[in-house]
Amino acid sequence: MRYTLPGKNLGARMEQMNRFTKNLHYFSPTGKAGLIILSLFFLMAVFSARLTTHPHDVSSGKALMPPCFDHVLGTDDIGVDLWSQLVYGARISLLVGFLTAGISGCFGALVGMFAGYTGGWMDRFFMRIIDGMMVLPDLPVMIVLAAFFGPGLAQVILVLSLFSWVFTARIVRSRVLVIKQKEYVIYARISGAGPVYLMRKHLFPEVLPLVWVSMIRLAGKAIVAEAGLSFLGLGDPTSRSWGLIIYHATRFPGIYYTRFWTWWLLYPFLALSGMVLALAFVCRDLETLADPRMNQKISGGV
Amino acid sequence: MLELNDLSIVYPENHGPLTAVDHVSLRLERGGRLGIIGESGCGKSSLALSLMGLNRKARTHGTIVYQGVQLNGQSDKAFKAVRWKKIAMVFQNGSEVLNPVLNVFEQLDEVLKTHRRFSTKQRRELVLTWLERVGLDRNWAFEFPHRLSGGMRQRALLAMALCCEPELLILDEPTSSLDARSRSELMGLIDSIQADQGYSLILISHQLSVIEAMTTDLLTLYAGQMMEYGPTHTLLHHPMHPYTRGLINASPDYQIYKELWGMPGGNHETPASNGCPFAPRCVQKGPRCKNSRPQVQIITDGRSLACNKGGIEILLKGEHLHKSFALKKGTVQALCDVNVELKSGEILAVLGKTGSGKSTLAHVLSGLYPSDQGRLTFWEPGLDSLSATRKRDGLQIVFQDPYSSTSHRMTVLDTVKEPLDILGWGTSESRRDAALSALAQVELPNKPEFLEKHGHALSGGQRQRLSLARALTMKPRILIADEITSMLDPSSRANLLRTLMGLQNAQGFSMIFITHDLFLARKVADRVMVMDRGRCIEQGSSVRVFQNPFHPRTRELVDTMLGNVKNEPMLGMKQNVYNLLKPREAETFFQVNHNKEQRRTP
Repeated sequence: MRYTLPGKNLGARMEQMNRFTKNLHYFSPTGKAGLIILSLFFLMAVFSARLTTHPHDVSSGKALMPPCFDHVLGTDDIGVDLWSQLVYGARISLLVGFLTAGISGCFGALVGMFAGYTGGWMDRFFMRIIDGMMVLPDLPVMIVLAAFFGPGLAQVILVLSLFSWVFTARIVRSRVLVIKQKEYVIYARISGAGPVYLMRKHLFPEVLPLVWVSMIRLAGKAIVAEAGLSFLGLGDPTSRSWGLIIYHATRFPGIYYTRFWTWWLLYPFLALSGMVLALAFVCRDLETLADPRMNQKISGGV
Repeated sequence: MLELNDLSIVYPENHGPLTAVDHVSLRLERGGRLGIIGESGCGKSSLALSLMGLNRKARTHGTIVYQGVQLNGQSDKAFKAVRWKKIAMVFQNGSEVLNPVLNVFEQLDEVLKTHRRFSTKQRRELVLTWLERVGLDRNWAFEFPHRLSGGMRQRALLAMALCCEPELLILDEPTSSLDARSRSELMGLIDSIQADQGYSLILISHQLSVIEAMTTDLLTLYAGQMMEYGPTHTLLHHPMHPYTRGLINASPDYQIYKELWGMPGGNHETPASNGCPFAPRCVQKGPRCKNSRPQVQIITDGRSLACNKGGIEILLKGEHLHKSFALKKGTVQALCDVNVELKSGEILAVLGKTGSGKSTLAHVLSGLYPSDQGRLTFWEPGLDSLSATRKRDGLQIVFQDPYSSTSHRMTVLDTVKEPLDILGWGTSESRRDAALSALAQVELPNKPEFLEKHGHALSGGQRQRLSLARALTMKPRILIADEITSMLDPSSRANLLRTLMGLQNAQGFSMIFITHDLFLARKVADRVMVMDRGRCIEQGSSVRVFQNPFHPRTRELVDTMLGNVKNEPMLGMKQNVYNLLKPREAETFFQVNHNKEQRRTP
């Protein structure tokens, strides 16, 4: 008994790994490229201290140095190394992106499942809220809210989450409505299964892939939105996110008349678009994987 | 005239006494016609032999009283007085009963010689007349038995029994070896001579149509015990004992459409001495049946019954069920005053076009949603449609679409044991075992690699079997099958149906089989209920409804689906087109098709 338990766990983990590699097989070349880029950014964020030689928040050279051997991507107007800023900025982007996605994904999934499962006036109530949130122009409201809450990373994440959960909720609800009508759920219900059992055994496992997909998509959106808020000066001024680098660069008078933009503006822009693009590619492939019509082909391992 | 009081016949065998007839009491009036049915070995022949006093090996208890005289007792004298003169018998197997070294005439002559006092000439005349009366030509009288055909031998035996002009004739399987024509001839003969002579008749036969034609009263025997007694016609058309019903369901002259299934198990098992002998094979056995012997009770109009449960139980009864659904505009009446009744071990087919309320009925019965009005009662008081589906030995439903009724994501094992998991029944090992045995029952493999397969890796037929297995793990008493075969190809459909029917026969659960396919319903159903626009327009035995539908819409349904002309389905199709189109359009339709074909032929 003592030996079977860890063995069993190991076996299950191995199986999960197998399934993951099997699914990897279904990724398109762009999807694979996206995964590679994304993991590079992750590595960058995790090992930022080892990848940089200069501090990211203190001046370490002359101002506005073009890329050279010491400062690979040059420096900004107060002489802070741009490569260090980019590497540490990846932490913030990823943090904001995935925390927002996690919070709004979980909350949205819960609301969607609850609304879809209970139906009736509860469902209508939540749906009207979601509709309302969807038609609100999010950027202006976000600006107002960010200004209201004050600058800070947590506030940014909160504001972004507030606007993101509705998408997940909507998708999850519609799927739950479909599954609820399936005869195997009806059968379980008339056999005496309670709501907790149904959600745990039938509804949640079925909507989980959808939640994953929508979370990845939300992550991309959140990263862009965070950059946008930072660019507008509503981000955390003490942090060095990519949006903030762009914000400082564009605030620099005469950035467009000099050649400074070729490193100061271009590299954060490239990093940002690279990550968003990678997320978009991964998301697109996951979407096809999570498509219930595709489901049979994949997990059957045909 | 003849009275049996508490008659028991016991054979003293080496390994203990064997009771062939067990406490049977009955009366037969002059001119009465009694039929006895039962499986072989139930004691029919022992009873007949004992009435003749020919069962010397056996000991009898109780009394056989013939015209006020007790026959059985110490000596054989009383029997000798009546044997052949008063009570005669036609034996089962003609070739063994006749003496092979005497010709037919000599054998009849011998009987007359011993039992009647006539001159030789009178005897000769009498024998020849009787042979002629039973339809055996004079020329055959001087032949030896082995030269005669089976039918002729049977006629000779009949003549032998009748030539002493008995008052009671016992016929033990007189027709079992005869073809239909000779059978009806012989039966007609016995009938007409009875009208002439006025003898009473005891007929033992396996052929229920013969029994129904020849007798007025009927006795059902099982393991020597009387199970049911009553007027033949009502007994055969409305049996009250599961055993009688089993006999009827197994005979092709009554089940002309349905597949034939015998009662499961054999009667070789020695029943518990103090319980109901039929309990091991009964579809509705309860705890009481094991240790309490049922007493013969008089029910009504001369019917009596020996069953602990008072005859075939009614498991489910819906009275005046109403159900309507709200639409955007107005409502649709899906069920309107529907009465439904399901007996134990019975298959009820619910027929109707799409949208006639069949599935709504299934859903209401299985507690998916409550009915608006009406009362639903189950076999146990206090049970409702919600609790009936949430217990073992309850009610289970199998849905139409195999792809929707089982999850594509769950493994085979998880799917099958899901209801048990929900109930929290037993330990996880016992749930697994129950699931494995259910899988074996529906003829799915129960190897580990199959158990770990996911639903989407199975075919439609396999998934439908899976949902059947899931229902069977709950050992249902009622199974509702809602169009379970409509999405399968003909071959898997046939296989699934055979499996299902076999299981039904073996386990004895009752079934409500919902279908729009009349051909299928004919193969499956004991009883049929026809629905139309939410109403039940006709209910009755399957044979009656399909042969002689009462309601015009049922007639229309039967005619259009089965075709007006038997064995010509194309004509039925033609009829369909005629019904769909207006007559003139139909004419042109066939005209055009006809012209097309003509053009194609050269």
